[in-house]
Amino acid sequence: MNISFPVGCIALLIGPSGSGKTTLLSNWIEKGSIKSSEKVSSDDFRVLVGDTEYIDYNNRPKAESDGLFNEYQKISQAAFKLLDQTVEARARLNKVTIVDATNLYSDDRRRYIEMASRQHVPIIAIVLDIKEDTLISRDSVRKDPRGKKRIKQQYSTFNREKRFLKNEGYTRVYYMKEEDQQNISITREQNKLTLNVAAGLDIIGDIHGCYDEMMQLLEKLDYKQNEEGYYVHEEGRKLLSIGDVMSRGPKSLVTMEFWLRHIQAGYAYMIDSNHGWKIARWLDGRKVTLSHGDEKVEEEFNAYAEEKGTEAAEKLKAELKNLLLYAPSHYALQQNGVNVAVCTHAGIKDHYIGKSSKRISDFCRYGDTDGVDEKGKPIRKDWFIHHHSSELIIWGHDPKPKPLIVGNTINIDQGAVFGGELTALRFPERQFLSIEAQHDYSGTDQNPLIEWKKKRFAPPNISKYINGYTVSPEHIKEIMVGSEYVKPAIDDVSHFTIPIEQLVYIPPTMTPPPAASSLENYLEHPREAIQYYRKHGVQRMIAEKKHMGSRAILHIFKNADAGKLAFGYPSLGVIYSRAGRRFFNKEAENMILTQLSEELQPYFEKYETDYVLLDAEIMPWNLKAKELISKQYAHVAEHAILDRKMLLSQLKKAEHPETKIWLEQYEQKLENAQTFQNVFQKYCWDLHDLAEISIAPFHVLAHSSGEFFDQSHEWHMQQNQELAQLSNLFTVTEYKIIDDEQSEVEAISWWESMTEDGHEGIVLKPEYFMVKEKGKLLQPAIKVRGQKYLHIIYGIDYLEPANLKRLKERNTNKKQRNALKEFALSMESVKRFIAGESIERVHECVLASLALEAEQIDPRL
Amino acid sequence: MQLTLNAKGQNASVMSYLLAKNPNNIYERKQKGHYVRLFYSRFSEEETEVTIFVTPDPIELTKNSSSTYDITHYINDREFAVSSIFCSFIRTALGTALNGQPADEYKKWVDEPFDFQVDFGPIASSLSDKTLYKLFTPIGFDVLIVEGEANYQFELKKRSTARFVTLTGKTTLQRVLRQLFVLIPVIDDYKHYYIDEKEIEKLERYGEGWLDDHPLKEMILKQSLRFEEVYMLIDQPVKDKHKAEEPVKKRLNDMRYEKIIETIENLLKKETIVDLGSGEGKLSVRLGFIEGVKQILAAEPSQIATKKALERFEKAAKKESFLMPERIWSSLFYYDERLVGKDVMILCEVIEHIDYERLPKIMDTIFSEYKPESLIITTPNAEYNQVYELGDSYRHTDHRFELDRKQFQEWCAERSQDYPYSFTFEGIGEKHETLGAPTQLCLFTRKEERV
Repeated sequence: MNISFPVGCIALLIGPSGSGKTTLLSNWIEKGSIKSSEKVSSDDFRVLVGDTEYIDYNNRPKAESDGLFNEYQKISQAAFKLLDQTVEARARLNKVTIVDATNLYSDDRRRYIEMASRQHVPIIAIVLDIKEDTLISRDSVRKDPRGKKRIKQQYSTFNREKRFLKNEGYTRVYYMKEEDQQNISITREQNKLTLNVAAGLDIIGDIHGCYDEMMQLLEKLDYKQNEEGYYVHEEGRKLLSIGDVMSRGPKSLVTMEFWLRHIQAGYAYMIDSNHGWKIARWLDGRKVTLSHGDEKVEEEFNAYAEEKGTEAAEKLKAELKNLLLYAPSHYALQQNGVNVAVCTHAGIKDHYIGKSSKRISDFCRYGDTDGVDEKGKPIRKDWFIHHHSSELIIWGHDPKPKPLIVGNTINIDQGAVFGGELTALRFPERQFLSIEAQHDYSGTDQNPLIEWKKKRFAPPNISKYINGYTVSPEHIKEIMVGSEYVKPAIDDVSHFTIPIEQLVYIPPTMTPPPAASSLENYLEHPREAIQYYRKHGVQRMIAEKKHMGSRAILHIFKNADAGKLAFGYPSLGVIYSRAGRRFFNKEAENMILTQLSEELQPYFEKYETDYVLLDAEIMPWNLKAKELISKQYAHVAEHAILDRKMLLSQLKKAEHPETKIWLEQYEQKLENAQTFQNVFQKYCWDLHDLAEISIAPFHVLAHSSGEFFDQSHEWHMQQNQELAQLSNLFTVTEYKIIDDEQSEVEAISWWESMTEDGHEGIVLKPEYFMVKEKGKLLQPAIKVRGQKYLHIIYGIDYLEPANLKRLKERNTNKKQRNALKEFALSMESVKRFIAGESIERVHECVLASLALEAEQIDPRL
Repeated sequence: MQLTLNAKGQNASVMSYLLAKNPNNIYERKQKGHYVRLFYSRFSEEETEVTIFVTPDPIELTKNSSSTYDITHYINDREFAVSSIFCSFIRTALGTALNGQPADEYKKWVDEPFDFQVDFGPIASSLSDKTLYKLFTPIGFDVLIVEGEANYQFELKKRSTARFVTLTGKTTLQRVLRQLFVLIPVIDDYKHYYIDEKEIEKLERYGEGWLDDHPLKEMILKQSLRFEEVYMLIDQPVKDKHKAEEPVKKRLNDMRYEKIIETIENLLKKETIVDLGSGEGKLSVRLGFIEGVKQILAAEPSQIATKKALERFEKAAKKESFLMPERIWSSLFYYDERLVGKDVMILCEVIEHIDYERLPKIMDTIFSEYKPESLIITTPNAEYNQVYELGDSYRHTDHRFELDRKQFQEWCAERSQDYPYSFTFEGIGEKHETLGAPTQLCLFTRKEERV
């Protein structure tokens, strides 16, 4: 007799006391057929909680007997409670568990059956059917005999319950008699849902009978036909279909046949899917209505029968039926025995991975649905936002124009049958290859790609934001955006910012060094910034000169058509401020964009991009800030100087010795005021012509082909040099690398001399654009502002010891936290924009950044 | 912030007694971290010169201000300019002089005039030099104004906004101090403390004997009591120069609202109305009185405007047969399901505040998603600006564009061409023979049943 344990199953031993359950399991453990940890025994748990396996309450005076019985009951209850928890925990983890208890009562068994269903694991029963005489004689010789009366009682219960077992809902029921107990072999079922990545997999999105496109894609993937007619890869890579290979499209049958043959020969795999399941049931002779393109499959079968005869058709049908009916709900892809990815058709929940059940199959086929909309289409819920486990989830089913990466999930259905693309994802390389479809084969006017594109520029739904919302950018945990900050942000977007679809990136705020300078006369110093990065394991840093002008984002398009693709209408681009407002007036913006677009043509050519998105500083300061400078900085400077000069002239006339102290104090104060007045003039010059402005880009954020968040800052600096060579409007940024003591000293003295000269200071960044420590983002940049510059931030007399001491107590924690949130949001919005996602999805990030900026943080930081 | 008093003449040295400050000492008191300091720079029988000044603690000064989270707040002229803050700092030190209560033997000097030169500043004031003369000349001073330096390396400003004032004239110490305590806050652009009825008392006390006859009395009172409610407490005939222009503007506004209401009243379906961009709720509140209306949605994204709208609604709620508009936080740039399928939507003087190129999308959302039975749009008629002699400029600084009648009609046709709407035009306001009415209105009417 052979007993086969399915993956993660709960196996219930069923038999009265003395039927040999414990002995049987001990034998199996001894032989190595099962692990000792796979056995959970009620006796063991009784010992664990009550120090004893059994309490004999017979043959005692009634009071004692009752007391002992009561005690035994309490122990048993506690033991079973723990045992059940253990079984459920193991089931959750998909581990085989054999329950060593009598399990004589249907109520007890039902508990495990429900548990198995809850945890999506199979449950089997192993019934030990031993004669009553044997049971009684075995009992009489055991250590703690249960007594004849009790054995007889148990046997009669067992005998009564035995016949119900078949229908209680086990995957399998094994019955064994006494004579069977010696000759039992154990087998363990392999998990059919795990698949070794081995030499690599090429995962193909929804084909829907687009056979020609599929063959082109295979060629592009380097699959070649061998002598036996199979398409194979010379490195041993294999194909994996994400399902829906048939229906809607022109060549379902030949596509299905291709997969059937390749799967049979071990060159390919395929998972279950909604259309696959429908066709499977149809082939199985069940009553189904073929619609949504499934009817085309029937037509093809009819044509096939006509051409090749009914027999051939039936044979093919039978083979395909088996393939489709038993296709796994999903695959857990493993490398070295570890799950690294999951392929599923329409979706999955994290705790479904590696398990089977009807509910799981349904979820994998149809995804998370929430009723139907007015047109009768299912409303899809975004299951992927709840995916938190480490596997990359690869799915299809819901056509998106480009592979959609949300969190750790990738959608590779690019709607080939709707005239989109057929996508292959090379795994583990995570490389996309695609073939454009020759036609829209679907013949439906509800083309999801066209609807997606139409919807892409649709105004975002205000109800998603207005009461506060959460957004989950990559690299950081969920960000909650409170309603009280969303509202002013929406107000801003409604009155002042550039149009929503153009607002794709808000530069993150930047923190000063987390600690104030330890030097007496400085509030900020590079040392503390360098220390921060060193402390967090960054050895190589870059110090970039911080220009003092106005922050600007430049989105420059190759031509107006490229703008149309991105914004929905022709545009040469946009230049906007940190707050999302148009930087120049329309006319000036147009002039600059026209010039830049023209001058950057070689750049667009070289990098094959439709656009470049730049983060930059535009100088001089007075270009944007003239009013502010005049009304605030100059006005205050004039007051301070006039006040102090007048007072000095009075103090000089005074004869009282103590006025000497005041005189000295005010001489210093006058000097402070003059420093203040000089410092802001440093960032200003007369502008007669737009050509006199200077744009210093420091991040090349993105091209139409992708973002550059994985690049080093030296790369960004090189790109900027390239840009500066193409246009006089661009200027390069000076920088220094810090990677040892010597370079650190040099960078600091560079900072000292430039700030002494009145320049704002430096921005210190880690070597790479994005750096993490133990999975957590580090500050992408720290600004270190000069001693003189800070006069215009902290006030004319901020360096007076009494003032500086208090100012050094400033706290940058919130600033740092927000900087990281805004950093993650800014990268996320750009990624979503490049992927052609809806503006609603891009805006979700942008609005969150604007809302964060509405929070109250000391603006001097 | 400083004030220097120079008195010349026989017995000028009595100043020190009138001030109750010993000329041999310096005076220094700390108030919340700020130093109030006084010293004598001249002291003789014939001439006394005393300077009182404040060395403020800039960090303390910027604390607890309402604009804490505005960067410009930290760079502030309050540290330097003479102001009501200055007056309150020095009030204690100058208490004896202000009240005219020196030691008994010097009381006779309180009303004794001397030749005074008074220097104070700097002042941060929007008042012109001319107005400053007009403030001090009637009370017997010659005025000299010195400007700060404004030499910048780039073109920034022609004149400094910091000024220093020198007054010369024969007067008593008490009188000049009282005048300064009234006039310094008048000159200064800000006021630091909350103004209440006490301010009136102060004015009466310090203004005694000179303020009543001052030609700029009204202006002084208005500036001193900057909150309208307090100003209303004093018994003054109020003449508001601005009132003159108001009636014209108001009439057009009213006519516009009346026209919209009349248009709605003539509509078949008017149970549910959306006032898009309802702002301060001036239109919404009027809609509340239309018969047969069951719901009014006042949709607006601005927090400040909303506050005013709510106040307006509350006031109206006391009147009979008023339907309270429901204020919803909405924006034309987003899709809002609450706005779907209403009877009437109104864009009253809204479109011209939106960048022209952002409008098509908004109109598409209205026509294809919200599908109102009627849509009313009003906007200025650019041609009419000639009547106002506006030249090239728009009627409002926030207007992003203004359309003439032809442009507006073409725009309406273009925006609705893909949707089942018919439309008619009307003018609002006094019609000019060739230039049309000042405001134009378009009424769109849905031709099909909504699905």
